[in-house]
Amino acid sequence: MKGIKLAYNFLRIGILNEFQYRANLYIQILQTFIALATGLIGLQLVFSQTTDLAGWSQPELLAVLGVFTIMGGIIGAAIQPNMERLMGEIREGTLDYALTKPADAQLLISVREFRLWQTVDVLTGFIILIIALNQMQWAVNLWAVFGFFSALLMGAMMIYCFWLIITSIAFWVIRVEEIANLFEGLYAAGRWPIGIYPNWLRYSLTFLVPVAFAISVPSEALTGRLTLETWLGALALTVFLFTVARIIWSFGLKNYSGASA
Amino acid sequence: MTSVISLQKLAKHYQVPEREAGLKAAAKGLFKRQYKNVKAVDEISFEIQPGEVVGFLGPNGAGKTTTLKMLSGLLHPTSGTASVLGFEPARRSHDFLRQITLVMGNRNQLSWDLPALDSFDLQRAIYSIPANEFKSRRDEFIEILEVGDLVQKPVRNLSLGERMKMEIVGALLHKPKILFLDEPTLGLDVTMQKRIRTFIAEYNKRYGATVLLTSHYMADVEALCKRIIVIHHGKLLFDGNLSQLAEKFSAFKTIGFTLDNSNVDLSQFGEVVSTDGARVVMRVPKEKTSAITSRLLNDLAVEDLTVEAAPIEDVIESVFAVKKEAVE
Repeated sequence: MKGIKLAYNFLRIGILNEFQYRANLYIQILQTFIALATGLIGLQLVFSQTTDLAGWSQPELLAVLGVFTIMGGIIGAAIQPNMERLMGEIREGTLDYALTKPADAQLLISVREFRLWQTVDVLTGFIILIIALNQMQWAVNLWAVFGFFSALLMGAMMIYCFWLIITSIAFWVIRVEEIANLFEGLYAAGRWPIGIYPNWLRYSLTFLVPVAFAISVPSEALTGRLTLETWLGALALTVFLFTVARIIWSFGLKNYSGASA
Repeated sequence: MTSVISLQKLAKHYQVPEREAGLKAAAKGLFKRQYKNVKAVDEISFEIQPGEVVGFLGPNGAGKTTTLKMLSGLLHPTSGTASVLGFEPARRSHDFLRQITLVMGNRNQLSWDLPALDSFDLQRAIYSIPANEFKSRRDEFIEILEVGDLVQKPVRNLSLGERMKMEIVGALLHKPKILFLDEPTLGLDVTMQKRIRTFIAEYNKRYGATVLLTSHYMADVEALCKRIIVIHHGKLLFDGNLSQLAEKFSAFKTIGFTLDNSNVDLSQFGEVVSTDGARVVMRVPKEKTSAITSRLLNDLAVEDLTVEAAPIEDVIESVFAVKKEAVE
């Protein structure tokens, strides 16, 4: 419970910090708007040629775009800023203060930053999702709601673990920003349901960079495609990735030498 | 009394990649890397008793920071053991971390854009300090350091010295028993250095805390530390008090006297450091001090003659000039 209290306190500081930079809110709104417009134009182009894409109808794909936007907001608000800060601190050897605190170091480095204005994306994503569900004439269904939220949570967790693994590599290889940049490119592939990609790409997006699980599984839940097997698979992969991330992080910490003075 | 900090042949070696300058050497380094084993800390041992304030001295690169980092659990020793409050620091047990603090003069941990008060609240959450205890200690520190009007300003708007005061308040809110202070007065003006020094002494007195302090300002060390540990090239060079340090390392002593007749050639006695009216201060080789003193008294009409150890800065200079071979 101390962990939750700690996370809350950091969240509070993060939000206080963000209020110092109100201009960022307007920039963020503009960015969200541009990303949304690009996404919608893409969908329009596809559906001017065909009525379904690998079995997904237009409103269903709009739902995928919604989930993609929500997840992007979560990553931008809570995951990416923490990992970027960690990467810099490992490189410069300034992780010291985080490690001299009587709290779990992994928890500490994962909650220190919070970009409030990025949650504009989360909000926008939910609006898109509601519009899409409305077009699909969606009826509330307990399994779908549970599946959606749990899959969203597991997806965020998997992407967090993926980032932490990549970042921990910085303990051995000093420059990992390039690998991290690669993630952004791969994440963009999540805009479309994973089923439309060729097998090799589908597998790498699923297991190497868990974008498929993070975006496709919640979308499947909402469109009645989610099976119990997939859900259990997602759960297993989350636990597995978390364990791996924790192990690599701990080994990395042992390797941390910190730049002198 | 049992010691609170104990080092037994503590060592830290680094593998540092090494190559010659230039493109060709860099390309070669892609395939086969040459490593050099650097002994940052080379088997040092000492004990510190509860409540002691110890000055930890050495030139840049002597291994001071590396030692402090091993003692605060940031670095794993290559060999040897360290024990702080009975804990092995590298295990980073929460019970251990709750009782220590690390302040580095060149780093800051307070949120840059927020008033220090907000960052203090965060410390409270991290260390689970009870609310009333937290408040009274925070206000006590704020009062001693006279920073009441600064705690509500964003940290970025504070001067370097003001910021350091805040850093120190933040680092002591959990009432640590052991303070590792790595150049806490770095870059501060004399007044600010003094203020921080007084505060550390006050904290040590009030809470009986043990302090291990590194500083390049000898005034810090003279004012705070009864005991000095000097390391150089990773080796322990000296452990004792200031006058012993001067005794051991200074090649010179300072003789001061008042001279009636100023038309005397003093260069035959030694190097004149300063003259202020009739008052003369000379620097003479240590082993010749008594001979020169008696000659001065016999040959010249001198008054108020004093013999003093060389100033601490000079002593430290000669300590730091010790060659690596001499240490090994």
